[in-house]
Amino acid sequence: MMKTRTILLAAAALAGLATTAARAEDATLTVWDWKSGDPVTAPYYEKVKADFEAAHPGVTVNYVMQPHDQYYTLLGTAIAASRGPDLVLVHGGSQAKERVGAFVKLDEAIADIRNDVVGWGEFADAAGAVYAVPLSIQGFMVYYNKDLYTKAGLDPEKAPATWAELEANCAAIKEKAGVACFALGNKEGFGADFFLSALAANGWTDAQQADWAAGTLHWSDAPVKAVVAEWLETWKTGWYSEGANSTLKFMDEYESFMRGENAHTIGLISDVAHWKQFDEFLGADKVGAFPMPAPTPAAEGPVRMPFAGGIGYAVTRFSPHQDLAIALAKSFAAPAAMQIFFESAGAIPASTKVDTSGLSSPSAKVVLALLGCCGASIAHNNMSTAEVEEWHRQSQLLFTGETTVDGAVTRLDEVQAAAKKK
Amino acid sequence: MTSATETHGTATAVRARELLDRNPASRAERRFGILFVLPALALVIVFRIVPLVWGAGYSLTDYNGIDAPSYIGLQNYAALATDPAFRDSIVNTLILLATLPVWIGLPLVLAILIHQGVPGGRLFRAVYFFPAVLSSVIVGAIFNMVLRYDGSFNAMLGSLGLSPVDWLGNSNTALFALIGVQLWSTFGMNVLIFLAGLSTVPEELVEAAKLDGASTLQTWRHVVVPSMVPIIEFATVATTIGVLTSMFGLIYVLTAGGPGTSTTLPEYLIWLEQGRMNRPGYASAISIVLFGVMAVLALVQIRIMTKNAEI
Repeated sequence: MMKTRTILLAAAALAGLATTAARAEDATLTVWDWKSGDPVTAPYYEKVKADFEAAHPGVTVNYVMQPHDQYYTLLGTAIAASRGPDLVLVHGGSQAKERVGAFVKLDEAIADIRNDVVGWGEFADAAGAVYAVPLSIQGFMVYYNKDLYTKAGLDPEKAPATWAELEANCAAIKEKAGVACFALGNKEGFGADFFLSALAANGWTDAQQADWAAGTLHWSDAPVKAVVAEWLETWKTGWYSEGANSTLKFMDEYESFMRGENAHTIGLISDVAHWKQFDEFLGADKVGAFPMPAPTPAAEGPVRMPFAGGIGYAVTRFSPHQDLAIALAKSFAAPAAMQIFFESAGAIPASTKVDTSGLSSPSAKVVLALLGCCGASIAHNNMSTAEVEEWHRQSQLLFTGETTVDGAVTRLDEVQAAAKKK
Repeated sequence: MTSATETHGTATAVRARELLDRNPASRAERRFGILFVLPALALVIVFRIVPLVWGAGYSLTDYNGIDAPSYIGLQNYAALATDPAFRDSIVNTLILLATLPVWIGLPLVLAILIHQGVPGGRLFRAVYFFPAVLSSVIVGAIFNMVLRYDGSFNAMLGSLGLSPVDWLGNSNTALFALIGVQLWSTFGMNVLIFLAGLSTVPEELVEAAKLDGASTLQTWRHVVVPSMVPIIEFATVATTIGVLTSMFGLIYVLTAGGPGTSTTLPEYLIWLEQGRMNRPGYASAISIVLFGVMAVLALVQIRIMTKNAEI
């Protein structure tokens, strides 16, 4: 009897072990993103999948590309249901920070790559704990059309270094080239976000940026109010293309710039609306780049570019394969894969091990030079989503004349205070 | 005081019910009837009633979609009272409802014209209905190209020597542009409903009116339209519910709720609060208010319809 029982117990234990082993081998990691189906980034995703599956026999990486404009709605549903992806791609800043409760803390797991990758701060909570592995660096540069500079009688190789120079260039472009100085799409409010961060990079001190992130620098405080006032002033001066409130930033604004209908645009340094895309349309020698100067610089020295961790992979708390998912998140930031991401998509990688020496684009060289010396925070990444949404609304109402700078900052102060209360 | 006719009628109904109850075949039929109704009932309960109750529960919490919800009483509803975005969405809804006579009147007039046999009536019927089969996203994409600042409509105005207008980026025009597009894309359905209703108006009544010397306009005003009242009421209820719950796609594609909140309707605000701002609890409170408004409107309209039907 005893012998039979022992045999049965052993069989049960073996069956359990076999089941566990089978589960480990059969694991499928579901990855949500909005990029894996893009032909430009496809080689990078294929490389990560191939390398990871080869290193982890039996594991399948399943990419699920979601529509970008519905991404956070879908992600919210998955998080609420505690079901779905093991890994999710998220934007750095408020979109990541407001969801850290749903993600696995990664500090210990990423200790070995922490010094090889930059941009962690955009995926960290208030205490500094990290919740995603950054893939790319995001930043905001002003790109300009050198042909239109020539047409306006300006030196195409001399980018404006001060606000006064930019104002003078805009006046010349409007008068002599007959086009708007800046392409602008603010239908979704993104145009206002980019403008805010571009001006804050040089109009605010580092201490003010820190206060902004902490919610102690308010919209009605002088440095912030000055940016809001400048947003309205540049509109009144006629810097922008008509119909900004009904023009999409992605991609109507950029397509307009690439068609040569406007002289400047505030673009990105990641894998879209960036130097590579503009080079392909206008010709690399026809595109210039410079960081946006501020009307009143907060400090002396070179003009700074706002940049930070752009997008990164977080592991969901409800993932049944958390260890594997963390390993896959790190694989996305592996130098060999990142090199492909950089070369095929032109995205500035978060990994410092990627070789960027082969770049020949003049505007890309300006971007890389600034990365090494002159960075500032991305101000709109440090706003709550409620503040971001209200800034979108107020930025449009300033253009339609339905609010004033005072009215806008008062309303934004209220939203900021309410968000901080939570 | 109950009349003798009513008493007789009630007694007959009771007697009929008793006979049906005794008849085994009728009982079986009733069981079958219940069986047929059950799947639909289950679907309504699972996909309508349960989420509604669930949403009502969430509206009393601070649920953010990630952390466990905490009960906060009526705080979300109190916050709604002071939320400018919500207030604006209600004002926009009222403006939208104020245009309802156009949503009903225009299709009615067109249906009458087609019914009267205007040349090309069949073609017009098909043409009017065609936009109703397009999804709101497709309609939005089409009109985005037409109404954008450098779009075809402004190009046409320019050829007439008129200045361009930012139809979708100006608060004074954006909501009306949106309403116009939605009206364009859905009025064909009401045209069809009214045409169906017109075919049920007794010919002898129309003939009698004509023999009495009524003009065409008088015939339509005093004979045809009154006969159409139940159809008009039905179309009004359906259109009211439709405009309050089916404009999301169009708002999303055409204006994104802006500029400011000038084209934000409660359904769009619900999506914004839930999807972009991670506040399902607050979004649920807006949903419950929207449900309440629609329920009241529908009940009032149904009551009027029932009353008219009794007359």
